Amino acid sequence: MSFWIRRLASIALAVGGCFLIDWFAKENLKDFIVRLVVLAALYITLAVSLNLINGITGQFSIGHAAFYQVGAYAAGLATVTFYKSQPLGLALWIPLMMLVGGVTASVAGLVVGLPSLRLRGDYLAIVTLGFGEIIRIVTQNLKVVGAASGMAVEPKMSTPMIWLAWLLAITSIAVCRNLLQTAHGLGFLAVREDEIASSAMGVNVTRTKVAAFVLGSAFAGMAGGFLAHYEGFLIPTMFTMDVSFIILTMVVLGGSGSVTGSVIAAILLSTLPEFLRDIQQISMAGLVAAAISIIAGVVAVRYVSQHVHTPSTRRIAYPGAIIGSIILTVVLSKVLAFIPTLANASTDGSRIRLVIFAVTLVVLMLVRPQGLLGHREFGWGSLRRSEA
Amino acid sequence: MAVDHLFAAGVNFGSLPAQVVNGILIGSLYALIALGYTMVYGVLRLINFAHGEVYMLGAYTALFVSWLIYGNQVAPVHTFWWALPTMLLASMTVSALVGVILERFAYRPLRNEPRIASLITAIGLSLLLQFGGQLFLPVAPPPNINAKVNPYSDSMTFYLKPPAKPLADKASSLEAEATATEKAYNEALSGVPSGEEPGPTVTALRNNYFEARNAYEEAKGAAANSGVSVTIPKGQLIMFVVTMFLMAILRHLVMFTKQGRAMRAVSHDFDSASLMGINVNSTVTFTFILGSALAGAGAMMSATFISGVKIDTFYGLLPGVKAFVAAVLGGIGNIPGAVLGGLLMGVAESLVIWVGWGDYKDAVAFLILIGVLMFRPGGLLGSAKVEKV
Amino acid sequence: MGLAEEVRGLSQAVLTLDKATIRFGGLFAVRDVSFSIQSGDLFGLIGPNGAGKTTCFNLITGVYKPTAGVVKFGDTVLNGQAPNRICEMGIARTFQNIRLFSSMSALENVVVAGSLRQKSSFISALSYLPSAIKETGEIRARALELLKVMDLEDIADVRSCDLPYGKQRRLEIARAMATDPTLLLLDEPAAGMNPQESEQLMRTVRRIRDEFGKTVLLIEHDMKFVMNLCERIVVLDHGVEIASGGPAEIRNNPKVIEAYLGEAV
Ligand SMILES: Nc1ncnc2c1ncn2[C@@H]1O[C@H](COP(=O)(O)OP(=O)(O)OP(=O)(O)O)[C@@H](O)[C@H]1O
Ligand SMILES: [Mg+2]
Repeated sequence: MSFWIRRLASIALAVGGCFLIDWFAKENLKDFIVRLVVLAALYITLAVSLNLINGITGQFSIGHAAFYQVGAYAAGLATVTFYKSQPLGLALWIPLMMLVGGVTASVAGLVVGLPSLRLRGDYLAIVTLGFGEIIRIVTQNLKVVGAASGMAVEPKMSTPMIWLAWLLAITSIAVCRNLLQTAHGLGFLAVREDEIASSAMGVNVTRTKVAAFVLGSAFAGMAGGFLAHYEGFLIPTMFTMDVSFIILTMVVLGGSGSVTGSVIAAILLSTLPEFLRDIQQISMAGLVAAAISIIAGVVAVRYVSQHVHTPSTRRIAYPGAIIGSIILTVVLSKVLAFIPTLANASTDGSRIRLVIFAVTLVVLMLVRPQGLLGHREFGWGSLRRSEA
Repeated sequence: MAVDHLFAAGVNFGSLPAQVVNGILIGSLYALIALGYTMVYGVLRLINFAHGEVYMLGAYTALFVSWLIYGNQVAPVHTFWWALPTMLLASMTVSALVGVILERFAYRPLRNEPRIASLITAIGLSLLLQFGGQLFLPVAPPPNINAKVNPYSDSMTFYLKPPAKPLADKASSLEAEATATEKAYNEALSGVPSGEEPGPTVTALRNNYFEARNAYEEAKGAAANSGVSVTIPKGQLIMFVVTMFLMAILRHLVMFTKQGRAMRAVSHDFDSASLMGINVNSTVTFTFILGSALAGAGAMMSATFISGVKIDTFYGLLPGVKAFVAAVLGGIGNIPGAVLGGLLMGVAESLVIWVGWGDYKDAVAFLILIGVLMFRPGGLLGSAKVEKV
Repeated sequence: MGLAEEVRGLSQAVLTLDKATIRFGGLFAVRDVSFSIQSGDLFGLIGPNGAGKTTCFNLITGVYKPTAGVVKFGDTVLNGQAPNRICEMGIARTFQNIRLFSSMSALENVVVAGSLRQKSSFISALSYLPSAIKETGEIRARALELLKVMDLEDIADVRSCDLPYGKQRRLEIARAMATDPTLLLLDEPAAGMNPQESEQLMRTVRRIRDEFGKTVLLIEHDMKFVMNLCERIVVLDHGVEIASGGPAEIRNNPKVIEAYLGEAV
């Protein structure tokens, strides 16, 4: 009995929290920031769901945007086709459409999951990438969804339903956390570790992989269904490979397999680079300085990790490298500004957004391949220790 | 069903050979790039996602060299004999250098980490060069080589089945008439003093000429359609010949040199090869040099010889992906397989265009890939390895 | 023949190989091997390196499919069954080159295997319902028990890749036991162990048979281990069966001696 009371309380807390975020954002934040709050929730959902496939089950999928897109288009198409001839109000219709998006995307997940049964990591990667491209090319040519010029999803939400986005994000986190807390979930981790040994221990590897794909793509599809009604407009260029890589970067940065890591990375990477869009002029001197400093930082961290064995030095390696790189960037950019070609050239912030993701991936692999949190989680793990 | 569609789309079976030849020409380019993927995968078991960007940088190198040589003028034909090989060598050198740098500073440090780390790095490098390149390379408006350096843009036509005799005769008689009327019209026109309106006789002559020319064009078209011909742009033919030549060199290097033997040994078994005293690092470097140089060559040629091609930092994205598919199709790690796979990919793509599904051309690669992996994971010439337990 | 053995002889065959054969390209890794194991046996499978012993295990557990011949578990034909199905039926194994779930703790390794026969549904796990929580608790308790049997309770929370070799081998046995098998296959369980460890392992294996009632088939190069432990032994060489019988018979079989001497042991 007390279980159900606690369960209801936590659900109420979650829903209440979502409405609190909603209220707070609308009262206090500029539209631009409100948008980031919504996008953060969507990216959390995407990162957590990719983490389920990629980090927890170890199936290296890099085409997650495809499921996002399938969900968005399915929901958009259903709304365009049926909304007018049905009695539901928009507040009920949109969650329903998210389910439609989720179900459709999970069918797509099933289709992609099937090759995963026969393919090892890198092959699977390219198949998922290819699947994403196929979806994009097909939508680009399909008249019913507006082909390359996109389609309007009418009606869109009148004010952003921030709470709904966050409820989706929290649900995806809760589902992954629940899974990892039970014996079922350990089977997923086992498949990641060693497929042959898992199947010899009775784990149904096939079913586990397909379940991961179906579940992961369902959440991405629901995020897509939300997006369709949030933006009110869908166009294939919203779902290019870049989006897949951004989600992948979040998972890798957070630490493959760590749900909390994915969440933190999703929040960081979905908001911070957005502020760059507004910066009109970034000087080339600064960029070159940053590039050199990052390389120096990487070299320093790698040197310490390989040749220095004093624990105190090793402990300050990461913070030292980060602070050092920042200082070096500032100093170098002043110095480089004396070179006229660099001082006069500049670029706008939106163009370095994706460069940041790329640099994150490469630098991370070189200095900390396990990601920010490795396999660790914050604040849970009763199963994962021997004494409760 | 499918056949119905063919007719509905007005597919012309006479154009099939032309499309196949076209496919082979493009396919040879895919093959050239695919060799880089396959060799690197062979020695390191790594999909070098950044290979497409090595290719892209090769195209930019060719562009810069063409600027250096010709500045803003249109290149005179008599300089091509030395300018084109210079561009080719420059592209190959720069691409090889980029490949070696990537290997040395990004892949080698990760060689003992799980393979997924190198794969993620490769993806990251690929993105970095695509988007970072946007900051430093000329992208807008997209530059191109072949507007200024425009070698051999005309094409040659071969007849597999000559046009029907009566139609051809009719066309040639009409051609004579068209020439005659044109001459008459031009003479009359030159008689008109400048600044004056041509009189009615001249107008009549002009109408005559236009009529005759239209009739000739029509008859020529009909005659051409009645035969089966293959038209090859000369530039692409050169590209094909050079590609075959480079592949022959590669084969020699891989089969008969010490480094080539080492490469095959490493490819067969990395750990044993290193235990047997093979210098694995230099072998891997050698592999990257070969693969990247080939990509550079392919990039220079595609950017120069295929008319209308524009260069940007995503220049290597689709060719790279297709070449990768070609490598998998042939059996990744297998050198003849990459060539076969490349040619098949090119032909498959042409056939899709021929059938009238040109919009979906780029999806074909992935469909082939998924098909191969599902039904013959080892590729056509490779063999799927069973993991020893 | 003692009474115990007579009773065992009457009991039903747990595992039967009938002319089991597998070839890799031109190589017959296992050729026409036939033997059967009775319930409660401690059965040894020996032979020089590359004889095909591990391949036999792979045939039994469904990792490879026999090219010809039949593998039967009780009355069920195993040919072509998926490894996880075979495990579910009651055959569990360890691996010669240890295959633990390396970044998971020792306890988690055992829990994965222990969740084989769980009844709570996937949905209940996703929504963290009481049934799933309770069952997970039970599985964990059983896993801790097994770790205790294998003398591993103190390292339950250690990542399995950080364990010393001998403990990793024992953890593999604990993990296999957690699937609650009828037949336990051990591939070189004593490899890399010192004499004391190996001595202790021998006692543990015997206990697994006597106390837990498992039938055990084991591969081992350590002759002392096999001869002391196993009641029946089959010898393979180059994929074919060259001898079978009790330890004494095997020890004096000229073919066996030749097979091992030919290998210059
Ligand atoms: N997947 C495979 N592909 C090709 N050959 C294989 C495969 N698996 C095993 N073999 C070959 O089958 C033969 C028997 O191998 P197996 O591993 O069964 O030997 P073993 O008796 O277990 O030897 P050891 O005592 O060294 O473990 C060997 O020659 C081996 O190379
Ligand atoms: Mg063995």
